[in-house]
Amino acid sequence: MPTLTIDGTEVTVEAGCTVLQACEEAGVEIPRFCYHDRLSIAGNCRMCLVEMEKAPKPIASCAMPVGEGMVIRTDTAAVRKARQGAMEFLLINHPLDCPICDQGGECDLQDQALAFGRDASRYVENKRAVKEKNLGPLIRTMMTRCIHCTRCVRFATEIAGVEELGATYRGEDTEIGTYVEAALTSEMSGNLVDVCPVGALTSRPYAFTARPWELRKTESIDVHDAVGCNIRVDSRGAEVMRVLPRLHEDVNEEWLGDRSRHAVDGLRRQRLDRPYLRVDGKLRPATWDQAFAAIASRMDGLAGERLAAIAGDMVDAETMLAMKDLMTALGSPNIDCRQDGAKLGGRHRGGYLFNTSIAGIEEADAILLVGCNPRWEATLINARIRKRWLAGGLSIGLIGPRVDLTYGYRYLGAGPATLAEVAGGDNDFAGLLQAAEKPMIIVGAGALSRPDGAAVLHLARRIAEATGMNGGDWNGFNVLHGAASRVGGLDLGFLPGEGGRDTAGILAGAGRGEIDLVWLLAADELDMGQFGDAFVVYQGHHGDAGAHRADVILPGAAYTEKDGTWVNTEGRAQQGRRATDPPGEARQDWAILRAFSDVIGQTLPYDNLAALRARMAELAPSFGRLDEVAPGEMGSFGVEGEVDATPFASPLGDYYLANAICRASSVMAECSRLYLAAGEGTGTDG
Amino acid sequence: MKGRQPDPAALAELRDILGEEGLRRDMLLEYLHALQDHHGHLSTRLLAALAQAMRLSQAEVYEVASFYHRFRIVGEAEAAPAGRRVDVCDGLVCQLAGADALAAALAADGGDGRIGRGACMGRCEQAPVAAADDSYIGQADPARIAAGLRGEIVEDRAPEVTFADYREGGGYDLLQQCRNGDHEPDWIIGRLSDSGLRGLGGAGFPTGRKWQLVRAEPAPRLLVVNADESEPGTFKDRYYLERDPHRFIEGMLLAAWTVAADEIYIYLRDEYPHLRRLLQRELVVARQAGIAVPEVHLRRGAGAYVCGEESAMLESIEGKRGLPRQRPPYPSQSGLFGRPTLINNVETLYWVRDAVNDGGDWPGQRSFSVSGRVREPGVKLAPAGISLRRLIDDYCGGMADGHQLAAFLPGGASGGILPAELADQPLDFGSLEDHGGLLGSAAVIVLSDRDDIRAAVANLMRFFADESCGQCTPCRLGTEKAVAMLAAGPADAAALADLAQVMADASICGLGHAAANPLRCALRHFPGAIA
Repeated sequence: MPTLTIDGTEVTVEAGCTVLQACEEAGVEIPRFCYHDRLSIAGNCRMCLVEMEKAPKPIASCAMPVGEGMVIRTDTAAVRKARQGAMEFLLINHPLDCPICDQGGECDLQDQALAFGRDASRYVENKRAVKEKNLGPLIRTMMTRCIHCTRCVRFATEIAGVEELGATYRGEDTEIGTYVEAALTSEMSGNLVDVCPVGALTSRPYAFTARPWELRKTESIDVHDAVGCNIRVDSRGAEVMRVLPRLHEDVNEEWLGDRSRHAVDGLRRQRLDRPYLRVDGKLRPATWDQAFAAIASRMDGLAGERLAAIAGDMVDAETMLAMKDLMTALGSPNIDCRQDGAKLGGRHRGGYLFNTSIAGIEEADAILLVGCNPRWEATLINARIRKRWLAGGLSIGLIGPRVDLTYGYRYLGAGPATLAEVAGGDNDFAGLLQAAEKPMIIVGAGALSRPDGAAVLHLARRIAEATGMNGGDWNGFNVLHGAASRVGGLDLGFLPGEGGRDTAGILAGAGRGEIDLVWLLAADELDMGQFGDAFVVYQGHHGDAGAHRADVILPGAAYTEKDGTWVNTEGRAQQGRRATDPPGEARQDWAILRAFSDVIGQTLPYDNLAALRARMAELAPSFGRLDEVAPGEMGSFGVEGEVDATPFASPLGDYYLANAICRASSVMAECSRLYLAAGEGTGTDG
Repeated sequence: MKGRQPDPAALAELRDILGEEGLRRDMLLEYLHALQDHHGHLSTRLLAALAQAMRLSQAEVYEVASFYHRFRIVGEAEAAPAGRRVDVCDGLVCQLAGADALAAALAADGGDGRIGRGACMGRCEQAPVAAADDSYIGQADPARIAAGLRGEIVEDRAPEVTFADYREGGGYDLLQQCRNGDHEPDWIIGRLSDSGLRGLGGAGFPTGRKWQLVRAEPAPRLLVVNADESEPGTFKDRYYLERDPHRFIEGMLLAAWTVAADEIYIYLRDEYPHLRRLLQRELVVARQAGIAVPEVHLRRGAGAYVCGEESAMLESIEGKRGLPRQRPPYPSQSGLFGRPTLINNVETLYWVRDAVNDGGDWPGQRSFSVSGRVREPGVKLAPAGISLRRLIDDYCGGMADGHQLAAFLPGGASGGILPAELADQPLDFGSLEDHGGLLGSAAVIVLSDRDDIRAAVANLMRFFADESCGQCTPCRLGTEKAVAMLAAGPADAAALADLAQVMADASICGLGHAAANPLRCALRHFPGAIA
């Protein structure tokens, strides 16, 4: 732990950190453009210069490792002069077009020019002009503004794992770009805009729509997958203008996938903004009273076992608990939160959680991926695996569809047969897991959402046991969920009760006339043709598959419009906050259920969110420990049995069209058309 | 959308040129050279095929190829260039010798070659110089260039001191003694330190100490020879390699033995193709005569002055763009491929045998590359600390006819420009700094009363702008801006001085630190010429 003196103050920092980090530790602000604490050090902008005793010239603090007894000065005339010089240089070719630049108001160059620059430039010659580049439908370029910090190149090659960005030519002819002028094929490309310190790369969908100071900023949680990325929702009036990542070291660090960031235009389209009733085969607008009355009248006299409810992939836990309580009150055991039919759930949380934790991936030394494509299903978990892989000494094996994951792996096989080999020790990857100190297995929906899913789960468990994945503080057994609602639903027991039907059973029962009324909580990823003559209530926010089949539509709130709790794949409960109001007559979902319960005389025992949340915490302690990950008990799970020979298939056909919000988004449609329909997948082209 | 897919024909052609063996990442520049040697240019279809064969992204291959000025990339839509290519040297010395007029005459004449310009070609004593493809032509005029295009001008010749001559004079005895156990590495280092031998590439770091530092690092270690001599006005390394290559080779082998480097890389500038062939030949000769030579990788530069900067050179040898690295770590700790690396200039190694043998008695003479307005330009071995006046009068036959000394560059483009009044100052490390000059590689360019100081400074600044790697802000923008300001007429002296100050203080590497020297010197010694 070296001690150094910064502007006369002694500070002790960890060995191996840089002078810039030490200055931050000492509370001294160092201006920088190229330095980014999650990217490799470039040291090219020369803005972070400081004086070091005995050094003949100012040093770049971002690239200088700390040493015992160093004496650093950041406040001398020479340092000010050097910074002013670097700043003046950067502005030599940077256009002064701030009034028409989307970076305005959140631009590092603008801020630092004010703080560290001169008041006027003495250089009057023409500025250089650089041709625009095509970086895909999400990024707008204005390369004349580029200051060559290379953050984007480093992000693309290091974090995103796509080596398509580069710096061509040299000297003042240097240009950043994709050499083949191809769109950047990464699901993390939106982050390029965040890392760009100037307005060279800005968000294309958000272009010229708002200024940062006009936006209301609401801290929330992403629900496009089960990672639980921390986000900030920027809204103006009733409209969500953009979504940005928020720092959470243990979850998404400071990154966000393109779907989570850029599907927001879907929040404005295809919205269910009033109740509807099917009359003579056609959906017609109705009042809340009419809609509730229609449901109540259909429900009247029905035995509990003739009712059913299925929760979709983005539903908050509050709504699921209200639904469960209502169904319990009505005597129905037919509820399920697994619309994909995953064979998961039960008392032992360890059997359905990502037990290692996302940050824990960085300690692993061997990973077996089973039936999952983390790049699509959990982009930020994939980024974490890549981060660990880049650090070296990690062996990765994959069983399932062969996909490009941005890191190297051994392809072991396509399906359960290979998994059984590993479980039986007949595959040398088993030996590798055995020899590893911190081995992991990650089982995805592609392996579990199939009729033999329970047997597959059992095999995975056997591998974990045989290779010593559970021991001491380490739990290497992991389920990778794709649905934000799933773990919350499992924690609350939104599962078939005694003698109850699961999703497949509900569909079959409806088809056979044994189920008369199905309540879909924003569940759209189902074969709607299987509901037969059943009366379908669709409560959700988008006019997607479920609404088209519905007999009654109850307009609810999308994730940005509600205060809700979601539990991520690690078992981490996090609360999202309402950024805007739901449109028109749409209402908060738990409140809709509470109101309906009143109509049918089964009043739910909570009048406000606090009471509902208290009950959630009572039922499942995870809800009482926000943002914490508790070890999942392992107990018994899975069922020993025959596995089918069918290869594991990816559950996600299209990263960009994964849910109702994405399917309403024209930005996502454009991405899908460009990246996937052209036959050039980002994750399935192996 | 991942970009063009290489066509099978291009992949087959690539295999024909590069062979069937597995391709290595660090050999990228060599492969690019092989493709260009074959076709006279680099086509984007072959670049795409190369990326595929090397499992690199196309962006990565293209960024490397486009960084180096010797590589000529021809896009899909462009027609492959016809005819041969003639480049006229753009260096200051050749400019003084009428290179601009020569290039204009060639362009006006048309002919069958394409006329271009190239950075200083390292043959300044023969100015003006031109290159017809890979043939270099001194005292170039249209007739000689035509002869060069017909292949009639060949630089290759046997060294003045052959292996047999060198051996007869006691050459390789010291190496054999070391290898026989007669000397310890520490003894060699001690003798070197006693001799006062310093790095002659320009930085002047004490050689013995450098070897000591590398030897103290854990094995495996590497030796890299910097033969990328490209400081304008410098041609001493070429001179010594052409005349007495085995003295250099023995020095190189002594260095490898002393620091126990198991492999040697020589990074030779691409403008010296005859030396490439010579070194290949002479290494075979030495081996055949029983001198054990560890594995020597002879690598070609590709037209990038910045690659003479040692860490940029390491990047280039690794097959990357020549961007200088941040220090620490220093190459002695983590150099080529992350291994402790000893880096020495050709001339430094050339003197090792004599320096070790003589120890404290070594005279420590300096090899001045003298060019410009003197009667007899060339490499002059003279006592360190000689004055310019004595160098010109005693070693160069005086000033050229009709020329009066007006200014001189003591150390190539980087060393700044000094007025005739300083002609009696000793030319040595440490004696010129007070006046803003640097001895550097001891490339002395002499200007006369008939030369335009402003045009000379503009030439030097344009050289740095062309050669800046573009990595760091001060150098990238400062060099370019200086060129623009000098071109625009009388300049704001205060703004230029600040520009120079920022470049010198804030750049990453020596190129940026030194690039402002001509400008700063001119502002100080010739203010009327600039502002």
